Amino acid sequence: MLEVKGLHARVEGKDILKGLDLSVRAGEVHAIMGPNGSGKSTTAHVLAGREGYEVTAGSVLFDGKNLLDLEPEKRACEGIFLGFQYPVEIPGVSNLTLLKAALNARRKYRGQPEIEATDFLAWVRDRAKLVKIDPKMLSRGVNEGFSGGEKKRNEILQMLILEPRLMILDETDSGLDIDALKIVADGINALRSPERATILVTHYQRLLDYVQPDYVHVLAGGRMVRSGGPELARELEEKGYGWLEAA
Amino acid sequence: MSLAAYTEGFEQFAAGLPAGQRAARREQYERFLKAGFPTPKIEEWHYTDLAPLSERRFSPVVEGGAVPTAELLADADRLVYLNGQLDQAHSTATALHGENPLLADGDSVTALNAAFATGGLSLRMARNERLPRPLQVLAVGSAGAAPAMVHQRHRIELGENAEATVLFQFLGQGTERLTTHVIEVELAPGARLTLYRIQDEHADATLLTRIDANLRRDSRLEAVAIDCGTGLVRHDFNVVLAEAGAEVALAGLYQPAPGGHIDNQTRIIHAAPHCRSREQFKGIIDAKAKAIFVGKVIVQPGAQKTDSEQRVANLLLSRKAEVNAKPELEIYADDVKCAHGATVGQLDDKALEYLRSRGIAADAARALLLRAFGAEVLDQLAIPALRDRLAARMGLAVEEIFEATIEETAE
Repeated sequence: MLEVKGLHARVEGKDILKGLDLSVRAGEVHAIMGPNGSGKSTTAHVLAGREGYEVTAGSVLFDGKNLLDLEPEKRACEGIFLGFQYPVEIPGVSNLTLLKAALNARRKYRGQPEIEATDFLAWVRDRAKLVKIDPKMLSRGVNEGFSGGEKKRNEILQMLILEPRLMILDETDSGLDIDALKIVADGINALRSPERATILVTHYQRLLDYVQPDYVHVLAGGRMVRSGGPELARELEEKGYGWLEAA
Repeated sequence: MSLAAYTEGFEQFAAGLPAGQRAARREQYERFLKAGFPTPKIEEWHYTDLAPLSERRFSPVVEGGAVPTAELLADADRLVYLNGQLDQAHSTATALHGENPLLADGDSVTALNAAFATGGLSLRMARNERLPRPLQVLAVGSAGAAPAMVHQRHRIELGENAEATVLFQFLGQGTERLTTHVIEVELAPGARLTLYRIQDEHADATLLTRIDANLRRDSRLEAVAIDCGTGLVRHDFNVVLAEAGAEVALAGLYQPAPGGHIDNQTRIIHAAPHCRSREQFKGIIDAKAKAIFVGKVIVQPGAQKTDSEQRVANLLLSRKAEVNAKPELEIYADDVKCAHGATVGQLDDKALEYLRSRGIAADAARALLLRAFGAEVLDQLAIPALRDRLAARMGLAVEEIFEATIEETAE
């Protein structure tokens, strides 16, 4: 599904990714771990096409398409979803407006008709239950006045509604208490399927107790320095990242 | 500065007046002649130069033209003016048309208006009287082969506890035109007036409006002003909070189209204690457009417990856009609350990026954010048909999203 080869990327003139390789197949969950400043978030942002990230070498193919040629909105319509570490507040644009616009953009991209209002609301209401968000909150501005945990749950809600094929979650677990973490994990697990893939970018092993990864990668200095199964995450939890960097 | 063409125009106009009215009109005209059009040397006219008008020739009589019937509101009583003349065919409230007193102060534009003014809305409401529906005053400048000018004088007088909603709509199309409107508002104790001022002028238009409102005890004026279009536009909004408990709330949204120039000047005088004033103006300014907001608040000696707030926010969409925003506070009392803030910024890149990451195209994302910005003012228009039409006209329309419905289905 996703093939990243020799990816080099630069942010504000600074080289962050220095030859990153990653291969993700449908149905898989990959965790990308690593110390601060290793390029974890940069990887997520480059894949989603955020501005300010300059790719200087390498390739990214998504279902055989060159992802780097696509605008961020086209990538989203292709089925990529980025869960933000710091979701943005947008006063005046309601969550429902955003969701409906996003859903219909996707449908239009695929040549499908717009969703019926009643179907849309029923769908939103159904999904909101999964992440324990009161649908009434969705009439408010996007993330406006939401607590940190509510913002993260709202990211997961958007994901549940948009049903992407590749979910990239950038430190979605950071700053969550255990209850919120469980809700977020339930949301991610609800979408796991043989057709979908997930990339969890995280600093801690904590989330991986609830979302079992198939592969764990350690990113350091802009490259993958180690890849393994779920046991690698536990090893990192015990020993920290120091032993890898020294190696 | 010649003004010769205006003098010719005045002689032509005066000849058509009843003999008894000529002297008073001539006095006003002389006043205008002496002062001439304001130039940027006058502080209040720093950003808007009318001097080029001096050399123009505008006919005081205009023939022809058509009323854009799409602008007629269904659920309103109407006074329609075509080139300054009452249009009987489209008006439903002709009894409210009349001549109004031609007061003038030192302002030369007001004197010009007084010299040439034809009648306009003349609304006088008795104590406890209520207008059952909004009153739409649609002033259209249309057609005519030669440059023309139109000057109108309106008056609204609300008796004690009377209530009304009045909408002034200034639309222009066709040839070069100079239009002035002076609107006087008198609110008796406890009276409530909702006043809408909508402007959509064409590129060859100069529109100058002035609203003077005098608010007595516990009366309330709520005004929403929306400006789009491409003309040279100047609005003066003067409010005197004359007696205790009076309240004024002015909201404005200005979005000059390329080539457009919109100069908003407000002047609120707190002349009595315990009065409240609120101003909320928002501007969306794109390439080659210019907007000005100058908000004066004067708290006179003795106007204790004044509660005043002024907020101005501007969005610049291009480096070739220009905006000047200036709060001016003069406070001569010591126990008052006067807040003000003016901002000039751009669309939030982070918000734009967030929306795009969800699949919404850049243009649509920008429209969503602009609508969110403008909605705070636009949504204060309590006439949905008008609000929606303006939103569409200004590129700020966003599909309605069933807020009510989700609450109903939330169970």
